Amino acid sequence: MIKRFLHRVWNSVTAVALAALVCAGVLALAVGAGALLGYPPIHLADLWLRGAAGSWYALSSSCADACPLLLTGLAAGVAFRAGVLNIGAQGQFLLGALVAVALSTRMMIFHQADLVIPTALIGGAVAGGLWGLVAQYLERYRSVPVVLSTILLNFVALYLAQAALQGPLQALGTAAAQSPEVAGKYWLPLFVPYTDFHIGIILALGLAVLLWVVQQHTTFGFETRVVGLNPGTAKAMKMPVTIRQFQIMFISGACAGLGGAIQLLGQVHFMTAHMGNYGYAGIAVALLGRLNPLGIILSALFFGFLDTGAFRAEESSLALPHDMANVIKAVVILVMLVLAGLSLRRARRAGRDTPMPPTPPTQESTL
Amino acid sequence: MTPSHNMFTFLSRQAVTAATPMILAGVGELVGELSGVINIGIEGTMLMGCIAAYTVTGVSGHGTVGLLAAIAAGMVMAVIFAAASVWGRADQIVAGTAMDLLGMGLSGMVWMMYQNWRENLGFSTALLHGSGFSPVPIPVLHDIAYLGPVLFDQYALCYITICLCVMTWWVLHRTRLGLIICALGDAPEACHAAGVRVRLGRSLCLLFAGASSGAAGAYLSIMQTHAFATNMTGGQGFVVLALVIFGRWKLPGLIGGCLFFGLINSLQQTLQTARYTSQNTALHALTHVPFQFFQMLPYLAAIMALAIMSRKAPGPRYINVPWPEAKT
Repeated sequence: MIKRFLHRVWNSVTAVALAALVCAGVLALAVGAGALLGYPPIHLADLWLRGAAGSWYALSSSCADACPLLLTGLAAGVAFRAGVLNIGAQGQFLLGALVAVALSTRMMIFHQADLVIPTALIGGAVAGGLWGLVAQYLERYRSVPVVLSTILLNFVALYLAQAALQGPLQALGTAAAQSPEVAGKYWLPLFVPYTDFHIGIILALGLAVLLWVVQQHTTFGFETRVVGLNPGTAKAMKMPVTIRQFQIMFISGACAGLGGAIQLLGQVHFMTAHMGNYGYAGIAVALLGRLNPLGIILSALFFGFLDTGAFRAEESSLALPHDMANVIKAVVILVMLVLAGLSLRRARRAGRDTPMPPTPPTQESTL
Repeated sequence: MTPSHNMFTFLSRQAVTAATPMILAGVGELVGELSGVINIGIEGTMLMGCIAAYTVTGVSGHGTVGLLAAIAAGMVMAVIFAAASVWGRADQIVAGTAMDLLGMGLSGMVWMMYQNWRENLGFSTALLHGSGFSPVPIPVLHDIAYLGPVLFDQYALCYITICLCVMTWWVLHRTRLGLIICALGDAPEACHAAGVRVRLGRSLCLLFAGASSGAAGAYLSIMQTHAFATNMTGGQGFVVLALVIFGRWKLPGLIGGCLFFGLINSLQQTLQTARYTSQNTALHALTHVPFQFFQMLPYLAAIMALAIMSRKAPGPRYINVPWPEAKT
């Protein structure tokens, strides 16, 4: 039992090691590209590293930036594992933040921090989950592919959030789509004073571990993985495929919504409709972590460090374009994908009888 | 001419103007999907087209050079995507998402560097001054009563798009090449047996898709607006994806969907202003509706249309199945 457990951990470790190798390569590439564009490479690397991890404060702001990425990464990872292609984490994230801001600036329950914070977090998660269920309903009963409906619903959520932020949730004395600031007593408490280490980070880490245990060690997790690999097999084994897909979609959306709520109460404290591209970046995070919740923790931390470092380099005299971080993310995804494809081919060459992830060309599963 | 007639002509013209880039990108996407590759990354490709067209036009002063640059940029994006998804066997949805991130990041980065560079040299980068395109009315045809202003008083790329649609339809339905393209997505084994190189064929289809998406980006930046803004495509690339399915992988259906979307979009823009000026009480009552609900309308319409129409949509059977297939 313990040996099998260790074996599982070892598998995760090798996956992470591969990812780390790719990251190191890409980072070297980024500094090289920076040098080509005329930024002094040593200075750039130094600035980047010190901005991301040079002090307790830098370290904490990297971790705080990794926190929403971890949750949207989990949202994508959990869903992709079960074959539910939820690209809608961005919209679910926004709605989670929206409900959290409503519950912490307009409808505070008894004005007690002990009640307001949990209800805001849970409300955000539920809102994200329900928004995800809309897409799954459209897939199951109206045969609209989840990939498309979630993308379109992202825009609907964006305009919904803007309408709310210029309507009932707007701050006094501003014309912009912006909510009032959340009162200080409803902020997520810090566990290291004078830094950005808020308890949302611990919550997210705990959730990742929990999801890993559920995915690897429960019947529910096993069934969702089978549903993801081959819905036909799952059906033949009398697994409740539809119910599992709906449940996974709710969990996935809830992760993203919780990410929005935590980002709002823990980090930014007031809401605009431009809360960053965390939803889309979450897909990259999940892939870099190879859809394994423990891997996703590390890849979210990596992306958090990347973003924070790039942000500091942008603020500095070097004025590095901040979008560089996005480019690096894209390159990471593409490299990881091709590596995964190549390892698949190598496995095929090694043994013809190795079971492969089946790709049945049926009408339902083509998208 | 009655005012309502005028309004109708105006709306139709706006719809065609707004639908042109979506049709252009959609034709490419359609060909790509028929050959068995779904490219979620057209949003990113269009953005690269936007920035390439804008910067090159700004530097060279010639809109045509900018358009060619946009096409080239789109093709480069297509090469990267084909390398990952067709030759590298990556999941097409995920690789496409990566292309979106790449396009968003790279276009924003290039834009910032271009601004720094040009403004240091003392040029303004806010607008193109005279080197962009403006609508080209076709001499005789634009005097026809309704069709004239709607179809024949558009940008040059709109006419090219019409020709491209006709040509693509003819190739797909009347030639051996079209048969091969459809077979690449429906029966790759048959293609392989007939001596057609499946992966090469798919790559070429993607190259065509990239070129047309790049041109669609150029339409947005150097024709419609004469400006660039980060993420200026605003999700049009994603909407195109939905519209290809909405049109059930048929060209006329796709064009109809794009025009429908364009019409709803121009309608909502007109309604947003008309509700304040109109004497009509029903219209005036709409002033209490937040304008974001109007902006939401096209996306809601797309979802509704998909929900109603997409039943039993017979797509290409081998979408997102890499070739050669993994044997179990």
